[in-house]
Amino acid sequence: MTMTSWKRLAPVALAGVVFASVPLPAAAQTPIKIGASMSVTGTYAKPGTYQKQGYDVCIDELNAKGGLLGRKVELVIYDDQSTPATAVRLYEKLITEDKVDAVMGPYSSAVSEAVANVTEKYKKVMVAPLAATTSIFKKGRKYIFMVITPAENYLDGLIDMAAKRGLKTVAIINEDTLFPKASASGTAEAAKKKGMQVVLQEAYPKGNTDFSALLVKIKAANPDVIAAGTYFDDAVAITRQMKELNVNPKMFGLTVGGDLPEFYDLLKQNAEYVYGSTQWDESLPYPGQKEFLAAYKAKFKGQEPSYHTAAGYAGCLIYAEAVKKAGTLDADKVRDQLLKMEIRTAFGDYKIEPDGFQIAHKMVMLQWQDGKRIVVWPDDLSNGKPRYPTPEWSKR
Amino acid sequence: MGVLITPSMIGQVVISGLLAGSLYAMVALGLGLIFGVMRVLNVAHGPLLMMGAYTTFWLFQWIGFNPYLSLLVSMPLLFLVGVALQRFLVRRVVDAPELSSLLLTFGVSIALVNLAQLAFTSDLRAVEYLTGSFVVGPFALSKPRLATCGFAIAITLGAFVFLRSTRLGKAIRAVSQSREVAQVCGIDVQRIHLITFGLGSALAAAGGSLVAVMVAIQPEMGQVYTFKSFLVIVLGGAGNYPGALLGGLLLGLVEQLASLFLTSQVNEAVAYVLLVVVLLIRPTGLLKGRV
Amino acid sequence: MKRWFPAALLVLAVGLALYPLQATGYGVRVMLQLFMWIALAQSWNLISGLTGYVSFGHVVFFGTGAYASSILIVTLGWAWPLACLGGGVVAAVLAFLIGWPCLRLKGPYFAIATLGLNEVMRVVASYYEGLTGGGNGLSLPTLHASVEIYYAMGLVAAAVTAVTYVIVTSRFGLRLMTIREDEVAAEAMGIDTLRYKLYAFLLSAAAPGIVGGLSARDQGYIEPLSVFPLIMTITMIVMALFGGKGTIWGPVLGAALLFAFQEVVWARFIYLHQLLFGAIIVGVVLLMPRGILGVLQQKYNLPRTI
Repeated sequence: MTMTSWKRLAPVALAGVVFASVPLPAAAQTPIKIGASMSVTGTYAKPGTYQKQGYDVCIDELNAKGGLLGRKVELVIYDDQSTPATAVRLYEKLITEDKVDAVMGPYSSAVSEAVANVTEKYKKVMVAPLAATTSIFKKGRKYIFMVITPAENYLDGLIDMAAKRGLKTVAIINEDTLFPKASASGTAEAAKKKGMQVVLQEAYPKGNTDFSALLVKIKAANPDVIAAGTYFDDAVAITRQMKELNVNPKMFGLTVGGDLPEFYDLLKQNAEYVYGSTQWDESLPYPGQKEFLAAYKAKFKGQEPSYHTAAGYAGCLIYAEAVKKAGTLDADKVRDQLLKMEIRTAFGDYKIEPDGFQIAHKMVMLQWQDGKRIVVWPDDLSNGKPRYPTPEWSKR
Repeated sequence: MGVLITPSMIGQVVISGLLAGSLYAMVALGLGLIFGVMRVLNVAHGPLLMMGAYTTFWLFQWIGFNPYLSLLVSMPLLFLVGVALQRFLVRRVVDAPELSSLLLTFGVSIALVNLAQLAFTSDLRAVEYLTGSFVVGPFALSKPRLATCGFAIAITLGAFVFLRSTRLGKAIRAVSQSREVAQVCGIDVQRIHLITFGLGSALAAAGGSLVAVMVAIQPEMGQVYTFKSFLVIVLGGAGNYPGALLGGLLLGLVEQLASLFLTSQVNEAVAYVLLVVVLLIRPTGLLKGRV
Repeated sequence: MKRWFPAALLVLAVGLALYPLQATGYGVRVMLQLFMWIALAQSWNLISGLTGYVSFGHVVFFGTGAYASSILIVTLGWAWPLACLGGGVVAAVLAFLIGWPCLRLKGPYFAIATLGLNEVMRVVASYYEGLTGGGNGLSLPTLHASVEIYYAMGLVAAAVTAVTYVIVTSRFGLRLMTIREDEVAAEAMGIDTLRYKLYAFLLSAAAPGIVGGLSARDQGYIEPLSVFPLIMTITMIVMALFGGKGTIWGPVLGAALLFAFQEVVWARFIYLHQLLFGAIIVGVVLLMPRGILGVLQQKYNLPRTI
């Protein structure tokens, strides 16, 4: 090619790249397509994958029972890399290009919040199983529905148990990101309602590894209870450093992280007596648990489901239930059903307020005892008694 | 909701800061060596530390190898990696404008992190080996931190002795002072460059092995150490090796004290403000390096 | 050779202007992101490509602009176009605050100083929660304006490219490049290097600030983690390097090529994303330091100002 024709080609090629992004219209389809973006990679890869597994199990179950409204159900999943901006684009793609019939929520509150703007714009019903922060549901949105217990209530059980035993003081620490902050503020309120005093409340940056200064302050304040809004690595670091600095509360509870098997794998003996909170546990006496567990174990051999899986599974089932009751996929009719429904699934109870906010589902508190997670609160769902008080480090 | 800060609290935090600072010093020394000798700012220093941490982790995981003994494995291993990096990549930009070596090592660092993500996944790992503390009066001395500090100081002092007293060490210092003159004196500058990059990497790896017992190991863990190492170099004076020790301890102290008096949230901002302040007031560092 | 180029540009511009009329919501969003990257890569080029002062924390201006303009919208009720411009102004002010002390240092030290910058601003944004909502993030009132933002982004991308053209062909640009080539000589010639570096830095911060505001408005929600990510700086750098730093069209080319590459190829190789970027950077530095445009410039004897 001569120099001039090459140069002529360049802007045309550029324009070509630009116009190539004009999409082709999607072909019509008979199976029902449900779309979602999941955090397959990125920060939330693990829980995002668990949630996707929940969707998968639900879809299999629906199809085994004859599908939805007599049609097969298909799942369309993209990877949003745990980033809100990417997820927003992907939901636009799902709705405007892939023309899915329905959408389910992504992982994490931050991503759900960003995506909710898109689903509201196109008036598509979205059951968001892993969106836990209250603020998402208090913006006058009409098409978003919550399944899990809000972040603010994560440690209600800890406070309840503490108050019942006459404990008076609590220190609250949290990672400075959306979900832990919400859980910290909710815990503070719950404590105050029960007449407890919050002697210290401080946030630490994400990625912080050295908690000495923070723990030194806590030790000086000498609280009966320490409540921590954490994710996983900070939970491990805090527990270890509590031992090093000899910080001995009578109860120490965590939000996320404390309930994962890896927590015990890493900390071994040092994880004993720690309270964790979880949205769901295999041992809970909910209907449909056995079927869910059997289906999961058959599909994902050698793995154990986490609460993200159960939540995803339940969220998808709840949506399907509403569609069945409405007899159509029409967003407004399905929405009416979702607002009215009260149901107990393998995940727990579901009932929402008019703005989509979940009010029936309960968190359970568990405690590590002899290497096992024992559900200790609430009483009607527990399978063991809490070991109280937590003995001092030197006496273990 | 304020807590009254007592002298014993300050003391505790000072101890934590010094213990942490000794690690910063050792890792920063590695960076400082590379910079002093080759005028290359090794942005990949953090990932090298990360690789040291993973070495320790996998040895512990597979054969229960003592994490502190694993220093004997991770340091030589990363020495070789450093030599390879220098030989095949960095060597070509040593004489180029500093911008090039910056960008090159930057590229290497993100590639290394991604390789680690592919090889090890982003799952958090930890080595559960030493926990608890010695209680001395009102102070708790964390066992893992003490061990880390002990090894870090030993290695750093060893490095100083090496640089001071051995022929190779003196050759390294000669090249860092003036490459041309060193060459005239018969020193094989290329060889010195290879060895220095290897040494710097080995020091980073040592840092990684030592922190493996204390923090969560994941591919991106090194990033923060890269920045802190740079900060220490600036604080102590670029090319001034004892300065790295001083700078490291200072950084450790400042971080902990800020967390105590302010809140933990401002940890990183404080380190940064310190950097800017030093750059403005005394750019050659506290102990006079070369800008 | 030069005659058809403006004509081709015009055709392209008209095509892009008409695009939203027949594209889906997704298509518009994708294109506006492309414009955003062009503006970002071009801005990075202004400081790092022209003066040689590498900025490793450039995403900080994006994030600052995002927060500044969002706060203006939420607490003062400004209209978004004005608020985004405000974001650009705030970003420029931040550039002044950082640049005034840090640009006095030699290049590598400046680079180090910018290395941790995005983390610091992330912490600052988290800390002042009364204003920024801290870890909760900041939500903007619902507004569906993707098309308008598409045009706004396009304008910014075009404006930054135009500004780069003006600078490169001016005495100001010449002075900047002198600083890049040999700063000591530049000072000896009487150029007030600090002042010029500062101008370049301020200019390089304004567009990311505006674009940050526009992006925030489009998403409707921002939080510290998502607007100060290191990967954004990395991507800007790779795009400008790959296309050709120090040139006018280099960053545009780099942004377009890498963006297309990302959307098409990388979507299938998600796990290799950063590795590829790292490899590209290393490859560019070692093999084609002046980027693709630099290679073309040499091979086909293209003019300097391209």
